[in-house]
Amino acid sequence: MEKKLERIKRSIWVFHLNTGSCNACDIEILDALTPYHDAERFGVKLVGSPRHADVLLLTGPITLESLPKVINAIEATPRPRFIIALGSCGSGGGIWHDTYSTIGGVNSLVKILKERGIEVDGVYYVPGCPIRPEALLYAVALIRGLVEKKAKSMVATVE
Amino acid sequence: MSFVKKIIKPVEVLVVASKTGRVTIKYPFEEPWISPEFRGKIEIDPAKCIGCGACVNACPPNALEMIESEDKKTLRYFVGRCIFCWRCIDVCPVGAIKGTRNFELATNDPLDLYDYIVHTRVKCRECNRVTGETTRMLKYVLEKAPVTENYNNKCPDCRKKTFINALSMRRTGPVGEKT
Amino acid sequence: MGGEKLILDKYIELSRDIGGRASIEGDTVHIIVPREKLVEAASKLFNEYQCDFRVCVGTDERPLNGYFSITHIFTDNRNGLYVLLKTYIEPQDPKVPSIINAVPGADWCEMEARDLLGIEFTGRTPYRLVLPPEWPEGLHPLRKDVPYNYRPQIRGVSEKIPTTTETGVIPIGPYHPALHEPEYFELYVEGEKVVDVKYRGFHVHRGIEKLGETRMTYQQVNFLAERICGICGFEHSSCYALAVEKAAKLDVPERAQFIRSIVLEVERIHSHLLWLGVAFHVLGYDTGFMHVWRIRERVMYLAELLTGSRKTYGINLIGGVRKDINEEKKQKTLEVLRELEKEYKGLIEVALSVPQVRKRASGTGVLPREDALKLSVEGPTARASGIDKDARRDLPYAAYKYASFRVPVYTEGDNLARLLVRVDEVIESMAIIEQLLDKIPKGPILLEKYEIPEGRVGVQVVEAPRGGDVHFVITGHGKPYRWRVRAPTYSNIPALRVMLRDQPLADAPLTIASIDPCFSCTDRVLIVRENGGREWLRLTGGLKI
Repeated sequence: MEKKLERIKRSIWVFHLNTGSCNACDIEILDALTPYHDAERFGVKLVGSPRHADVLLLTGPITLESLPKVINAIEATPRPRFIIALGSCGSGGGIWHDTYSTIGGVNSLVKILKERGIEVDGVYYVPGCPIRPEALLYAVALIRGLVEKKAKSMVATVE
Repeated sequence: MSFVKKIIKPVEVLVVASKTGRVTIKYPFEEPWISPEFRGKIEIDPAKCIGCGACVNACPPNALEMIESEDKKTLRYFVGRCIFCWRCIDVCPVGAIKGTRNFELATNDPLDLYDYIVHTRVKCRECNRVTGETTRMLKYVLEKAPVTENYNNKCPDCRKKTFINALSMRRTGPVGEKT
Repeated sequence: MGGEKLILDKYIELSRDIGGRASIEGDTVHIIVPREKLVEAASKLFNEYQCDFRVCVGTDERPLNGYFSITHIFTDNRNGLYVLLKTYIEPQDPKVPSIINAVPGADWCEMEARDLLGIEFTGRTPYRLVLPPEWPEGLHPLRKDVPYNYRPQIRGVSEKIPTTTETGVIPIGPYHPALHEPEYFELYVEGEKVVDVKYRGFHVHRGIEKLGETRMTYQQVNFLAERICGICGFEHSSCYALAVEKAAKLDVPERAQFIRSIVLEVERIHSHLLWLGVAFHVLGYDTGFMHVWRIRERVMYLAELLTGSRKTYGINLIGGVRKDINEEKKQKTLEVLRELEKEYKGLIEVALSVPQVRKRASGTGVLPREDALKLSVEGPTARASGIDKDARRDLPYAAYKYASFRVPVYTEGDNLARLLVRVDEVIESMAIIEQLLDKIPKGPILLEKYEIPEGRVGVQVVEAPRGGDVHFVITGHGKPYRWRVRAPTYSNIPALRVMLRDQPLADAPLTIASIDPCFSCTDRVLIVRENGGREWLRLTGGLKI
């Protein structure tokens, strides 16, 4: 994945893919472009078509109604393509991880894509509900190699 | 408005812009603008947690889960599904959970998002079967409630048997007759 | 006191004429009628008594008494009363007459009851509204014997655009640069004029009502309700808490109600500033977009200081709130509001004098007053067409009876009127917050011990930034038995058909954005599929408007 990352490292063009979220994470994505946070310092630009994009920002637990359209949009993105799963809905299915009308997060989506032969080159997870614009900028800086990863798993045994 | 004013008014936005100046905060090279009340990731203190499961009941998206195996009871915290509501901090009886302002949690390895605390399940002193409780839970009950140690260290079935035995030993005569 | 008794007597008389039963509880009138008299009762309430139709709710009461039931919720805005019209349905033959000839606004909610519960409505053409087209027949998710996590195996198909020779077809969505949410509009054009509109929505249906009745407890549903919509989430959670407290007759401390009202007004300011920025962006005035969102950042910081999170505040609980406002926070709030008012007034004066904004927004997307009354539209969309309707003044809740404010009403009904209504409401909200901070009483903020009895009904209407939002709760054992949410955009979308007809194509995005659509509030339900595979979506059920 490191070699593929090298190809997009200069400036990352993103496409916003809303798969049925409540819109809180979506307005925070727009907030990252406004003067206080200014994502364009990193070269990030919001484009209007998946054909122009390097990275897809996925929000929402993927609902059954929007599933075929999401697969179409991902297929239309040229390789190398990455997905950043935003928020509690994208990373783990959120508060509706087991209802009748959703799939439950980006892990099940990647499984379905593998069955159909569509490859995704990397998935990043950003927890939060909703995410702060600074958390999104931290993820972009992580992809570009400007900061170190801080998340670590903790295991403790009690007698 | 007069004709000249009509043309000039929209251009006043330049005055507004120059008065405000630059407001961008150059995160991550500067400190971000966060209030002291922000709700970030929680941290569970392994020295205080008693393994009772009150936080598991109160968590709306099931980010805190109790996984039971034969001799261990594991509390698993999945940050990916957490909604940062801090209800678990409200309901914890011993105050083992602490809230932080940490939001820098992005990663590309999903295994980084899990935290585990492993408790051992106790065995009943009478019948030697494994119960659903942990050693620390028994200690906590002993401090707070007026029970004897003998009663405390048994599983619920053996407690029932001991209680019925004690009750029946107080009655004399066959069942149905008043003492 | 005498006047109130007279009005309540009128409702009891109505129920006796029809042949039903009535009972009064607080500010709610319950009327139960037999099945055949339903249309007559609804038409009398809508026309003679001038009640406002809000929503209809279908409930599966077979575990309790062996019947299905349909409840139509009306509100009497001039007297501050809720009127619930209920009828019971046999489970073997679930048919009930439809009321859309008398009350056209009931179209979508009847079809939702048909999809999710299986109740058939006679006297109208049915279509599938909420569930995806390949969903198996006979599987109704909201019935009590269907589990909430059963997922049928379907792999959907996406739209195929029909080709006709008479008119051109322009598909907008589901993923389009102008839209933030997945929704699909098909505009039929002749030259530059739009002649018809077909809509396919409900991509955001996540199964919220079923989840609230099965896996969640009373306190957890607050957090679920907040995530129905990310922009107007706090008012959904307040409305649910107020409805349950009304059903259980709890005595919530006054300080908690004041805090709820203050945070509701902060949410209104943030939502209107967001909409202003998006409207300027759609008009092509990106400078306005950036400046308005720069001002809005202070409101987000204020919300984070008062509640703990920039959005989805999470401070509502049944019985009060979780966070208090101390003296330091109060001073900081007043300081932020003062600076905000100065900057906002200066910016709006400049932005509204730009010639493109005025010319593109005035005269387009007109909604005349009679159509707005017939379709029961809500919020700034109604107030821009001359209807004087505001739930904060008509059906007072929380602490609004202690504040005095003006309700802005315009009569032209075009996009500029809807813009000016929202601009005025921001100034009023700032005045309300200052008044409430002045009068806030001392005391506790959360009710510690309470009991919630089973089988009680609670209805509450709260004025969201987009209009009136209705929550209907029947209490059960440890969790709600039935919970129905009707967001304001649900009533506003059918009005788009009137607004978009005969308009130039270039104005279509602004018109769709001017009702402030929030599709995640709407879609807790979908499209008709006719034979031959063509997707038709009727906005008004085939009614001629």
